[in-house]
Amino acid sequence: MDLHAALSLGLPIGIGIAAIGSGIGLGLIGQGAMQAIGRQPEATGKIQLAMIIIAALAEALTIYAFVTMFLLQGKI
Amino acid sequence: MGLEFLARVRRTSTWLGGVVALMAATYVRPMLGLAFAAGVLWSLVNLQLLERLVVSLVGEKRGTPTNVRRLAVALLGMPVLFGAGWVLLELLSPTALLAGFLLPLAVIVAKAGTQVLLGSRAWRALLTHRFRAAFAALALAVATWFALGALTNAGSATPTPEHAATTTPSGPTARDAQAAPGEASHDATAEPGEANDNEKEQGFANVIGLIVGANPHAAWAHFLEHWEVLVFSIFIALLLLVMAFVASRNPQLVPSGFQNGVELVVEGLSNFIISIIGPKQGPRFVPFLGTLFVYILSMNLFGLIPFMHSPTASLNVTVALALTVFVYVQFIGFKELGPLGWLDHMLGSPRDLTGWLLAPLMLPIHILGELAKPISLSCRLLGIIFGKDMLLVAFATLGVTMLPFKQLPFGVPMHAIFFPLALLGSALQALVFTVLSSIYILLMLPHEHHDEHGHEGDAQHAH
Repeated sequence: MDLHAALSLGLPIGIGIAAIGSGIGLGLIGQGAMQAIGRQPEATGKIQLAMIIIAALAEALTIYAFVTMFLLQGKI
Repeated sequence: MGLEFLARVRRTSTWLGGVVALMAATYVRPMLGLAFAAGVLWSLVNLQLLERLVVSLVGEKRGTPTNVRRLAVALLGMPVLFGAGWVLLELLSPTALLAGFLLPLAVIVAKAGTQVLLGSRAWRALLTHRFRAAFAALALAVATWFALGALTNAGSATPTPEHAATTTPSGPTARDAQAAPGEASHDATAEPGEANDNEKEQGFANVIGLIVGANPHAAWAHFLEHWEVLVFSIFIALLLLVMAFVASRNPQLVPSGFQNGVELVVEGLSNFIISIIGPKQGPRFVPFLGTLFVYILSMNLFGLIPFMHSPTASLNVTVALALTVFVYVQFIGFKELGPLGWLDHMLGSPRDLTGWLLAPLMLPIHILGELAKPISLSCRLLGIIFGKDMLLVAFATLGVTMLPFKQLPFGVPMHAIFFPLALLGSALQALVFTVLSSIYILLMLPHEHHDEHGHEGDAQHAH
């Protein structure tokens, strides 16, 4: 298997795996935030702020894979 | 039908002419678009002068001094206008000029025809029932579809110069061929399938690309193209500067209009940042963090304007922003904690034996963590904005290629579905960048937990 074939097979799969991981993470974050808001609706603002920050951190992992794909895309 | 009708014709022709000229400049050749725009402008000025002549000759206020002056201006303007038209005919392509000249007249005919049609009895009979109207609209759409297909097929069978000029959506081939004068110099309809696959550069065309296409041999054009991202980001910064200046030039106690909107944004940002950092330290950082938010948001959204480009879709800009935040956060740490305090912070604030034993381990972790912050900030912003642009480009290409007759210079705007997503992503990333920057600053500051607990205690006592 040469480099081109390996890259063109591996890049989409890599992004998919990264997306699975951060998708699970985002789901858990959202679930936790929704439950917390349900229990304590008056703290909605604080919870949403924390949720956005943590969601950004989880989402960043997929974006790293995405950026890596664009960096390596020229070699295909 | 009066002067108001002429004003509407002027408005419609201006918009239509601008759009068609931009499309011609993008898809065919920049000079062709310029010629078309010049033709439209010439025709509009001509109409305006004629209107003035007629109004000042037969209008109600004829004979008054101002009216005589306007009449003289109109009479003198006519020769000047015809001279300018002669110069334009010498300089630019006559066919495009003629097409631009005919556009306002076509708009007048179409508007008059529509008015006659809308007043007719058949039209009113058609509109009386909902289903009848829907059926008519459907029939019209189907007829347009087939008519366009037949037209473009006929055009590709016998390519006339006009067709080659108006129905060729190929940027690079046209740019390659533009060294040869005349508009029928290349027969791009011979290879209709390659029209969009030829697009080498990724992304939508932007203003600087057009300028470079118009001046392919000028050194300054290549300079502009090379520093494209910087040009756009500096332009946005200047735009924000002017907006801030205009909003605060004449401050009113009770704001209205533009000042009101800007104050809303500033106040919201101020409250938001103070709610994160705390009421004591927060106001100091509002200018820096608020500017970050507004600037990043404008840069993210700028790519959605046609012929513009998001500077944040380039690693250069995002790394510059993230490095600014990094340097600022370290500077705040040095200033607030002092060099020894900063080192203490980096060692994980050891206070007992366990802390001191763990300190050699904590130092590399903290240093790596500080260095990871700018990388993570810049890559996150870049990924979302670049991905947004690529998504829009991919779906716009799909919208063009999904039509069966590819020679059309337009397509189905498939990417419009993703505009809400693009708006949401842009705003969210600007917000995330700002929130994370303020949290990095907050982590560097000496903790003010005592104050907060005190306030909460007071509040509970008050209950």
